[in-house]
Amino acid sequence: MAHGNNSNEKVVYVGDSRVRKRETVNSIPPDYTSFPGRSEAFIPNFLLKEWMVGCVVLVGFLVLTIAEPPPLGYPADPTNSAFIPMPDWYFLFLYQLLKYPWVSGSYVPLGVMGVPGVAFGSLLLAPFLDTGKERRFYRRPIATTLMLLSLVSCYYLTKVSWDHYQHELEITNTVPEHIEREEKAREAAASGEEPPSATKPKEDVALVDADNAGVKTIMEKAKCMTCHGTDLKGQAGAKIPSLHGVGDLLDKAQLTEIVTNGKGGMPAFKDTLSAEEIDTLTTWLAKQKAAQ
Amino acid sequence: MSTHENQESAHAPVKRKEMSRRQFLAYTLGGASAFMAGGAVLPMIRFAVDPLLEKRSAGSFVKVVEESKVKVGEPTEFKFKIHQVDGWYVSDPEQAAWIMKDDNGKIFALSPICKHLGCTIGWNTEKNNEYVCPCHGAHYTVDGKNLSVAPAPLDEYQIKIENGFVYLGDIVPNTRV
Amino acid sequence: MFKSVYNWIDERLDVTPLWRDVADHEVPEHVNPAHHFSAFVYCFGGLTFFITVIQILSGMFLTMYYVPDIINAYASVDYLQHKVPFGSIVRGMHHWGASLVIVMMFLHTLRVFFTGSYKAPREMNWVVGMLIFFIMLGLGFTGYLLPWDNKAYFATKVGIQIADSVPYIGEYIKVFLQGGDIVGATTLTRFFAIHVFFLPGALLALLAAHFLMIRKQGIAGPL
Repeated sequence: MAHGNNSNEKVVYVGDSRVRKRETVNSIPPDYTSFPGRSEAFIPNFLLKEWMVGCVVLVGFLVLTIAEPPPLGYPADPTNSAFIPMPDWYFLFLYQLLKYPWVSGSYVPLGVMGVPGVAFGSLLLAPFLDTGKERRFYRRPIATTLMLLSLVSCYYLTKVSWDHYQHELEITNTVPEHIEREEKAREAAASGEEPPSATKPKEDVALVDADNAGVKTIMEKAKCMTCHGTDLKGQAGAKIPSLHGVGDLLDKAQLTEIVTNGKGGMPAFKDTLSAEEIDTLTTWLAKQKAAQ
Repeated sequence: MSTHENQESAHAPVKRKEMSRRQFLAYTLGGASAFMAGGAVLPMIRFAVDPLLEKRSAGSFVKVVEESKVKVGEPTEFKFKIHQVDGWYVSDPEQAAWIMKDDNGKIFALSPICKHLGCTIGWNTEKNNEYVCPCHGAHYTVDGKNLSVAPAPLDEYQIKIENGFVYLGDIVPNTRV
Repeated sequence: MFKSVYNWIDERLDVTPLWRDVADHEVPEHVNPAHHFSAFVYCFGGLTFFITVIQILSGMFLTMYYVPDIINAYASVDYLQHKVPFGSIVRGMHHWGASLVIVMMFLHTLRVFFTGSYKAPREMNWVVGMLIFFIMLGLGFTGYLLPWDNKAYFATKVGIQIADSVPYIGEYIKVFLQGGDIVGATTLTRFFAIHVFFLPGALLALLAAHFLMIRKQGIAGPL
């Protein structure tokens, strides 16, 4: 029995497994002023200074998050061939590295395994490769040079990759989706409308009056299908619009203007088609509205 | 220690090779730990690697387009729907193929997936009659032969022509180059 | 009031030595920016940890709205960013914080490298630190897919294709990461699990080891 009848008796544990209470614990932090140099206690003296820096960083960070909303494009569409993929910036150097001929083609394993493997492997094992006692970087020329070279090459690769991306955007005349989306939302907000919802997947809009023989003849004459596709859904990769539901976007007058005089990459059809043919065609196109 | 040994030899005059009590306990504890860890984790591992062990079934042919719509010498992108089971989603997504007729009148279809790192290629985006990948700038000839960056030519679709329609099947390595 | 509650707990559990161990140690002059302004380079490690804490918190809160499902993932991110008050800020913290953590960690690594602080006896702490770096990159990669927009989808496809071009085992890594033949529903749930449970678990363990070793070995002396 651990407990005796006497209430003053101490509780006795058999096989005591408790951690022993340490006898001497100072409740006052030790004073370091007598130490050589000007060391100070971690809590509260030093931590306060570190948290001052933390406060400054936090304010900057919050300003960034308020000023710059995080980017969000349009929902993933696996068939979108016009999209120019871009990883997060800190993977760009790797992304760029894989473009070079000596790590692509049949040397891809060298690019994905060899070069990054050696670089990251030697970084991981740096303490076992650089075993000298010397700590100052200017007395460790090999380690320092290698590190500086890798820094420069990472910076260079990232910059080349980013410039190439900007160049691609320019020649394909693309606005990155998240920017395009922001702008549309801003325009909608300015005109007091509900911002367009990107969450609703684009439904397949069926063609209205699809078997109109007269229109078919005209289309074959004008070779519409060559560019807009046999299903008239356009080619996303080449930025050729779909004709399904085109009546929702453009009215008859605008359609007539585009067919007659061309627009962007689309040629003018005023010589190929007669005015009546264009009229028949655009009347039909203007009817292409999504079923409500 | 020495007295202990003496005692033991006194009690066991015949030298037998057997494990000590401590060793036995250590082995049993190790075995029990291994069983507990293995018993708990093995089902999870099998659960996680399931996709690696699933059997791939050969796909069937899908009707894509009339033979007459395929152009000679210039590829056209045709979309078609395949039946796709993605986990718990069963869908019929659109897929694309670049189809053309070569000079001998043979129809072939190329997959638009870049063989470098899997982006989607486009035809003639740089106006030089080549397939171009927007990611790392891989180029392919009209036959899908890899000109730069990519390690292999573009894949082909298995093709079947029946009653004037082009049918596409599985994606196979390029046979034209 | 607080004092008496503390004393009540301390009497029973003797918690004072636990936190005293952490609190009572001297910080040498050469890392103290109050004495030498250039010592601010020693702050990057602490700042990395601070941003990491923000990442963990904001990530926890994001999962209150986020759904890892190909149909709803984008819609839920769109909703939490544009419809929920402060959504843009909370998602912004997680998005920009991811970049900032990389920047801070990068600076911290460079400081340790150029001051030679990774030398004996602190080799193991450097290795643990590098492992933390890789885990952070993994978190960045898996987190990128979760909003399921075009950028996410295509960058992930490229990333998985890179894994696929590893000789011999590439195909298996690819299928394992994708959880199937295509980047789809099972890929998203896998990346979500890795991003939210597996990597943070490993990260916390490594961080604990990192801090324990710093405390045990002390800060490297002045140059």
